[in-house]
Amino acid sequence: MTKSFSAKALARSYRTERTVTFTTGLLAVLLGAAVLVVGLGWLGAYRAQRPVLDPMAVDWIRHQQPTLVRIVAIVAGVALLVSGLWWCARSLRPERHPDIELDRERGHRLVVSSSAITGAVRADTEAIDGVTKAKVRAVGSRRHPALRLHVWLREGSDPRQVWARIDDDVLGRARAALGVTVLPTAIRLELGSGKATRVR
Amino acid sequence: MRILVRLLSTVLGLAVAAAGALLALEVAWWWWRPAEAPLVVPWPQWRDTLAGIAWDSPGVRITAAVVGVAGLLLLLAAVTARRHDVAFTDPATEVTVTTSPRSLARVVGAHVREQDDVVSASVTATARKVRVRAVSRMETEHGLRPKLAGSVSALLEDLPLTRQPKVSVVVDSPRDRR
Repeated sequence: MTKSFSAKALARSYRTERTVTFTTGLLAVLLGAAVLVVGLGWLGAYRAQRPVLDPMAVDWIRHQQPTLVRIVAIVAGVALLVSGLWWCARSLRPERHPDIELDRERGHRLVVSSSAITGAVRADTEAIDGVTKAKVRAVGSRRHPALRLHVWLREGSDPRQVWARIDDDVLGRARAALGVTVLPTAIRLELGSGKATRVR
Repeated sequence: MRILVRLLSTVLGLAVAAAGALLALEVAWWWWRPAEAPLVVPWPQWRDTLAGIAWDSPGVRITAAVVGVAGLLLLLAAVTARRHDVAFTDPATEVTVTTSPRSLARVVGAHVREQDDVVSASVTATARKVRVRAVSRMETEHGLRPKLAGSVSALLEDLPLTRQPKVSVVVDSPRDRR
């Protein structure tokens, strides 16, 4: 099952970072275990007493085409460099907050900047009774933009009522303004954040 | 843990890039001017050292153990860096609503403290389970626990959660110690 755009918009994806960290960790564990297995003599006592840089392996490399070995080493080095830089840049890159394109036709391009739409949605959300604070961001890609609403509710307010108001008034207005039928939205509610105001 | 994984990922990427650059540079330099090798990394010394030590030497074993443990730590960081959101049912298509376990615990805690006979309470919550620890002066555990469990369950059923968490209640009361 693929995740809907609104579910993806809940938080920034960590999948790539987690996968590469997991893979590196797994490789390190396997490498350490393999060296320990050899060093403890489980592959034979004779094997364990051979030097780490084994003359047999060195001889095998010497018998290969020297040009080929060098080219393979250089290509591998460049590949590691490029993938390492890509990986690093990807981890450091801030999350994208795309503008929303209303019209993609040539000569008729119409773009709403992400801060304009998020500012309007935030003001509408904070006007709802029971909401103490709201933060809104446009996330996703240009082709599939989505909204992320972080909404703090006052203690005792009913989340059902609040999100019905958000869906009807806030998102309905945003959809109407943008002229779209579906606007993927992820809402993170913080319940009971402020004290309920009491009449004395 | 999530920021740690992003940091680790950045550092690992840099390390891989540096290793690749050095490898390509050293091999190319050695190919071009064999007499002036090495350029940056003293690899002929490393080669001689590695040719001199055996697989069963303590240094090799300790290094292998350190690498293995570092790998386990990376695995742990990658596995624990997931979100622990509590999901609500989707109110409409392409609208997804969640809350944090902390805010669920806050709501349950405020509710429990409002009950009669409860002096104080602490609550921990996940999407699967809500644990309540309440302190009471007047009521015994036997008397208060079913009441609290029932009212917390009713409160949670009022919230449109996708899965109802199990509720466990412990009551700490001096009357039980007599």
